[in-house]
Amino acid sequence: MSHDGHHSVVIPAPGPEFVPHTVAHHFDTPVQEFQSAKLGFWLFLATEILLFGGLFAAYFYYHEMYPETFRLGGQQLDWKLGAINTTVLLLSSWTMAMGVRSAQTSQKQKTMVFCGLTVLGAIGFMVIKFFEYKAKNEHGLVVFSELFGQYDTATGSLPWFKDYVGVMAGVPHGHLFFAIYLTMTAIHGLHVVIGAGLILWIMKGTAKGRFHSGYFLPVDLVGLYWHLVDLIWIFLFPLLYLVP
Amino acid sequence: MTTNVPVIDTHSQAPAAGRANFMNCTSGFWSWAATLDHKRIGLMYLVGVGIAFLAGGLFALLVRLHLWEPTGTLFENAQYNQIFTLHGAFMVFLFVIPAIPGSLGNIILPLMLGAKDVALPRLNLLSFYLWLTGAVLATLAIVLGGFDTGWTFYTPYSLYTQQAVVTIGLAIFVLGFSSIFTGLNFIVTVHKLRAPGMTWFRMPLFVWALYATSLLQVLATPVLGITVLLVAFERLYHVGIFDPRLGGDPVLFEHFFWFYSHPAVYIMVLPAFGIISECVSVHSRKPLFGYKLIAFSSLAIAIISFLVWGHHMFTSGQSTYAMFAFSFLTFFVAIPTAIKEFSWVATIWKGSIALNAPMLYTLAFLIIFAIGGLTGVILGALNVDIHLHDTYFVVAHFHYVMMGSIALAFFAGLHHWWPKIFGVMYDEFLAKIACIVIFVGFNTTFLPQFVMGSRGMPRRYATYVPEYADFHRASTIGVIIMTSGIALMVYYLVASLFRGKQAMQNQWGGVTLDWLSPTPPPLENFDTPPKVVHEVYDYSTLDYQSMRTPVR
Amino acid sequence: MSAHDHSHGDHGELQMGHHHISSSAMFLNVLLTLLVLTGVTVGASRIDFGAANMLIAMAIASVKASLVIAFFMHVKWDTAINKIVFLSSFLFLSLLFLFTLADHATRRMDGEINVTRTPVQFQWTQPAPQPHGN
Repeated sequence: MSHDGHHSVVIPAPGPEFVPHTVAHHFDTPVQEFQSAKLGFWLFLATEILLFGGLFAAYFYYHEMYPETFRLGGQQLDWKLGAINTTVLLLSSWTMAMGVRSAQTSQKQKTMVFCGLTVLGAIGFMVIKFFEYKAKNEHGLVVFSELFGQYDTATGSLPWFKDYVGVMAGVPHGHLFFAIYLTMTAIHGLHVVIGAGLILWIMKGTAKGRFHSGYFLPVDLVGLYWHLVDLIWIFLFPLLYLVP
Repeated sequence: MTTNVPVIDTHSQAPAAGRANFMNCTSGFWSWAATLDHKRIGLMYLVGVGIAFLAGGLFALLVRLHLWEPTGTLFENAQYNQIFTLHGAFMVFLFVIPAIPGSLGNIILPLMLGAKDVALPRLNLLSFYLWLTGAVLATLAIVLGGFDTGWTFYTPYSLYTQQAVVTIGLAIFVLGFSSIFTGLNFIVTVHKLRAPGMTWFRMPLFVWALYATSLLQVLATPVLGITVLLVAFERLYHVGIFDPRLGGDPVLFEHFFWFYSHPAVYIMVLPAFGIISECVSVHSRKPLFGYKLIAFSSLAIAIISFLVWGHHMFTSGQSTYAMFAFSFLTFFVAIPTAIKEFSWVATIWKGSIALNAPMLYTLAFLIIFAIGGLTGVILGALNVDIHLHDTYFVVAHFHYVMMGSIALAFFAGLHHWWPKIFGVMYDEFLAKIACIVIFVGFNTTFLPQFVMGSRGMPRRYATYVPEYADFHRASTIGVIIMTSGIALMVYYLVASLFRGKQAMQNQWGGVTLDWLSPTPPPLENFDTPPKVVHEVYDYSTLDYQSMRTPVR
Repeated sequence: MSAHDHSHGDHGELQMGHHHISSSAMFLNVLLTLLVLTGVTVGASRIDFGAANMLIAMAIASVKASLVIAFFMHVKWDTAINKIVFLSSFLFLSLLFLFTLADHATRRMDGEINVTRTPVQFQWTQPAPQPHGN
């Protein structure tokens, strides 16, 4: 008998390679625990959508204000790399969905494999992102070493926007496109890294047999997070790379 | 009246001697610091927001003392800017937004629903530590030089000023997530953890109010998060998004900022409305007039609040058509608000009114909020606001709603639930004195501000022309009176914890589940999980015995 | 509640309730559709539709997003409240978009109503400087 005077509900393990799950004591049933956690997580995803949405609002606002800058700026981005990254993320979304399904059907090995593939997709995405940023650096469109440098109010020149080739000459405030591009893709990239970390944590739990048909909640929730990361990129890709 | 029929399936539990309650069931620093119990978390919040209130109040006192003389008495102009900014930022972000949901909401909501805890207790603890982190960061910002932008951080000034803007921005970001997670938790709790038999329309109105608040917290706060983040990025690497030198638009900042901050004022006031609903019912021993109207009006206010933010920006250079739209929509928010005010008064009408401390604060609220709300409608009129914007009229309006209404409702709630939470009663006589002193002091402080605002006195000015001196001095005297009242209140509340009389099991005769749990509540809130078989606020079910049975 | 012994067939209560588990085939179909739509997006961007460029790109992206949400994120078989939650986030986001863009778009449209006027000449005598002033 536990100290609070009544028993906890335990979900049994479906096999010897799994462990049972004890429902948190303030819930009466496993269903209540599952639905509460899922609703809570969807609410959290709603806040993420609104957070990113603010960035999209800023994008649309300045796209309307400086259409030429955004057109020209977008042309400096390599749409092929962007398309590859989109494909990588879509594939990783698929592997993640398959991973959740494997946990739901108590297939431990498959869960590990699919989660692992998803992490590989995340790494691939970040590698391609690195090369993209490197190219921007080389063209002087975003000089990372000078990113936090002093803004010279006298000349009006930004330390990190050097534009060696002069591609953005002739449009007003050329740096604005790249600043927004950098902010949006960097925050998105941060979420990719966080997502990969969460998936690794899921893999650890899977190895220990914590997730199975009776209790797959964390896998489900991390899967939702990963799909959100994919969702954001689905909108980012055409806006930044293709519309111009 | 001697009817003693217990008709709800849960009885008020008479205590055994020395019964364990949530405060004494375990002891030691870590049992509190790592607690998952919503009541302990609520108490920690109470201490925290209490300190924040006193700090914010100290800044307010400094502001008003400085303004005794037309040329200022205490500070250089630049310093004065920092002082009023700190007053605003501390009060808004560290007190008014988190206080009622974090303290009273955390403690009372699960009790009212008949639940053992909130749905996500670890998230609840995280919310508290995020609040604490935000408080530490805000204090750090003062140490690092303060900030002088006003609590609204308007660009472009907030981009140029050589102050700790990034630090306070980070504090606000963290505090924002504290607020979001609390709201998230309450929404899930209300949806999933109601006791058997508690339908949506059997929930007490404090729960409805907190639910509507939580919707706002979840949907609006993220936009504040991205706004402060963008200001920080602008300062760090010059994005150009709000900086006109770099092609940005400062009005866009205002759109982003007020998209959150207008719903934020409803995050602040809706829980206060919830407390008033509870107090008018219990202390008139009468069911709420218009229960469903009040419940729906909370949701209506929440939704309409997203449509009106531009009324803070009437002189900023928005398009005229946008301003027409915002002004027109602003008037609509008065409708559900008025429904509440009239319903509360109708509840008290011909009730069995007890003029105890919570009721006195409630009555004070009803008067003060009427003024505060109506002056808000005045400001919503576009043509009038052109003249009143950034004057003391606005300052008076929002202090009438924030201090006079929200803070007074918070005090009402504290006095109302004090015996439930702690099992002790404070000195009723001193409480009534304090309430009257605070009421007199409050009106002395802020009524003159309406007048001088309408005569042109601008806000946030460190010095002023001598013709306003009498108004400012009256206002300063009012603050001193109000501070004495608050000091008295803090004194007798704290004293009650050490020397207070025992409270009764059901001090005021409430019939909602929070009053039917043992007093003070045990760790799991109820000895046997309650089932609800009667409508809410059904005073025929009142167990008068519990009102005469002391706690120990 | 007594300790649950899972020897009797109480599985409906102990498991997560009735869970819809998607088939692998369905996931594969969704993936292929998404990849095709990505190709369409890229192809459509090669053609200049003028002002409609943004709209078409966003429309295709919305279709892709709906597929991810409905199938990968399982929302099609989810409870009503979860659907309402995520829909509301888009709804309120669109409020932010709508009003800010509407403001910007209509800013120059009001002719003489909202322009800067010549400031009125106004004399104000500075009070004599005090030792602890500015």
